[in-house]
Amino acid sequence: MIADEPTFSRLMVAAQDGDKAAANVLLTEVGVWLERYFRRRVPPHQIDDLVQEVLIAFYTKRATWDPARAFLPWLSAIARYRWVDHLRKVYKHDAKELMEDDAVDDSEEDVVLARISLDRLFVQIPEKQAEVIEMVKIGGLSIREAAEKTGQSESLVKVNIHRGLKKLATLVEEAE
Amino acid sequence: MEKYSNRADLIAALSDDLTPVARVKPRDGMLLIVFATLAAALASIAIFEFWPGMLNGEASAFFWITNGLLAVLGSASMVGLVGGALPRVGTRGNAPFWSAAMLAVMPIAALITLLSVEAGHDHATSFADPAVSYWECAAYGLCASVLVGLAAIVWLRRGAPVSIERSAWLTGLSAGAFGSLAYGITCPLDGVGHVGIVHVAPVLISALVARIVVPPLIRW
Repeated sequence: MIADEPTFSRLMVAAQDGDKAAANVLLTEVGVWLERYFRRRVPPHQIDDLVQEVLIAFYTKRATWDPARAFLPWLSAIARYRWVDHLRKVYKHDAKELMEDDAVDDSEEDVVLARISLDRLFVQIPEKQAEVIEMVKIGGLSIREAAEKTGQSESLVKVNIHRGLKKLATLVEEAE
Repeated sequence: MEKYSNRADLIAALSDDLTPVARVKPRDGMLLIVFATLAAALASIAIFEFWPGMLNGEASAFFWITNGLLAVLGSASMVGLVGGALPRVGTRGNAPFWSAAMLAVMPIAALITLLSVEAGHDHATSFADPAVSYWECAAYGLCASVLVGLAAIVWLRRGAPVSIERSAWLTGLSAGAFGSLAYGITCPLDGVGHVGIVHVAPVLISALVARIVVPPLIRW
């Protein structure tokens, strides 16, 4: 069972005051909460790394929580910030690969990651961009194959994928 | 931070290193920025001398309107900026952006005034007025805004801003507005053509510069 808001708040007040035992329980409970938070957001094999990353951020920035405010929205904001940062890194990596024209060599992991990260946002970008991202980054087609299928030039496919990924990153960042 | 293969080890290490922390309070951020503005104002007075026109009634309405609007924009941006250093979710007020729009009224009004030349009717200012092109004031205002901007960055680095772009814009807006205000109290040129354009320009420049420069400095 995951701790509730009053329990989190009580533990956090104690942790801010330097109570090591409370901090240990708090970090463990926060870890469980984060695991659930990231379950629908990143591929399973990346959850633990991301949870550890957020735990460190949580610990480093613990002075920024105000006991007069709710704890979980504060934790969510930190988790979301780290998640967006994680997606930005993934997109940058994808875009770099694309510019090097070796997108066809994407590993299965990258394809799965792209699928999970992009699916829910596809409806918010232009259809032409979503279409080529789907083909190249998820379907595994080469730039040339995607160009032939869509009737777009190879350069246009690259541009549409690049702009689409950039737009997706912005959408994630802007979403509250 | 050392990378742990096991979450339990990380938690044990973090708990073991735990020390009490002083909570980051929004009031501290506001005080920091207000002190930086006062320091910028005192430095401006030391360099350019205080303009007594403010006290003896010589200052025009434009002087008061512009500096009043700068104070409003600076304050609204500061409140948004300070609050943004503490992580939270949900919608935030858009006061700084509305205030920016409000301030934009001034240069527009100034331009309209400058362009409205009627025969036999003196608008007391025009593009021929050398004060309109006295851009040194914008440069001095920008210098003052650097001090305020640094204070804002120090605050944001203490906190944990989760909306980096928004924090960068707000840093530029508050620094530009307070910086121009801090210098403005020493400037004897109070025609609308001057205060409406030259004294507002630092806000726009500061916001654009901050949008580019600040994000890498506050990312965590």
